[in-house]
Amino acid sequence: MNDLVAGDLTLAFNAGRADAIELTWLGRSNDRYPDKLLTPYWHTALAAAAERAIPIELHFQKLQHFNSSTITVIIQFIQEARRRGARLVLVYDQALKWQKLSFDAMRVFVKDELFQLRSV
Amino acid sequence: MQPFQFSIDLPVLNHWRNVDLLLTSVQNCFVAVFADVDGCNAIAMVTGELVENAVKYGYWSGDDKHFRLRINGRRGAVTIQVENPVDPRNPQIQTLQAMLSWITEFPSTESAYRAKMLEIASRPGASSGFGLVRCAYEGSAVLRAELVEGNALRVVADMTF
Repeated sequence: MNDLVAGDLTLAFNAGRADAIELTWLGRSNDRYPDKLLTPYWHTALAAAAERAIPIELHFQKLQHFNSSTITVIIQFIQEARRRGARLVLVYDQALKWQKLSFDAMRVFVKDELFQLRSV
Repeated sequence: MQPFQFSIDLPVLNHWRNVDLLLTSVQNCFVAVFADVDGCNAIAMVTGELVENAVKYGYWSGDDKHFRLRINGRRGAVTIQVENPVDPRNPQIQTLQAMLSWITEFPSTESAYRAKMLEIASRPGASSGFGLVRCAYEGSAVLRAELVEGNALRVVADMTF
């Protein structure tokens, strides 16, 4: 896996993690069509996670902003990961009110061990 | 701090890059005035979502390629207005007002937001209106929409913080 750099957004891949595909969101996700940027990258991450039988961790703590179109893409990624039986963890900073509100609401998707939300 | 009022009124070109320029400008302006960073983030987020909608759904086949952003208020209260041209034959006001009514049918904006997320999860094409629901939930914004002179749509978000 490589980093994804698209406009104001970077997804940084942590090559030092052997136990998870760790992707850290940096900057701002403000694209008009974030699905076109992110969906091909998701597929690469899902394939890598399946090959190594490890979960995917998305870290949002350092993200400055995402638009509602990005949230839509994340919801669809949660669904796609579940369809493929991939374990997915979203990590956010509960001290940031906007992150707490956005991610706490995603608890509607927590049904089993395949999808977890973790606040730090 | 003494009581004060503020007002911003800008005609803005309908370029997508202006969405984030406005969002960050509003955020920086308000952080410079208020100590409430969370409140400023919420104002910026609501501004961004309303401006995105104006750029996406405005009627841009005429000569005027501008929408209008107005933000005014006083300490603890702010009103954000975004006005864009619409096709007078199909101004889309009913669609927008139906979405705003849908939000009010729920006991809370949080439950409306969760319902919209579940709808998006089950039908990927169902994301229309999600930005407005986000404004109501995350921004605690009270939203309304009105047609202006038959050819412009104004969306208004009242917020307190």
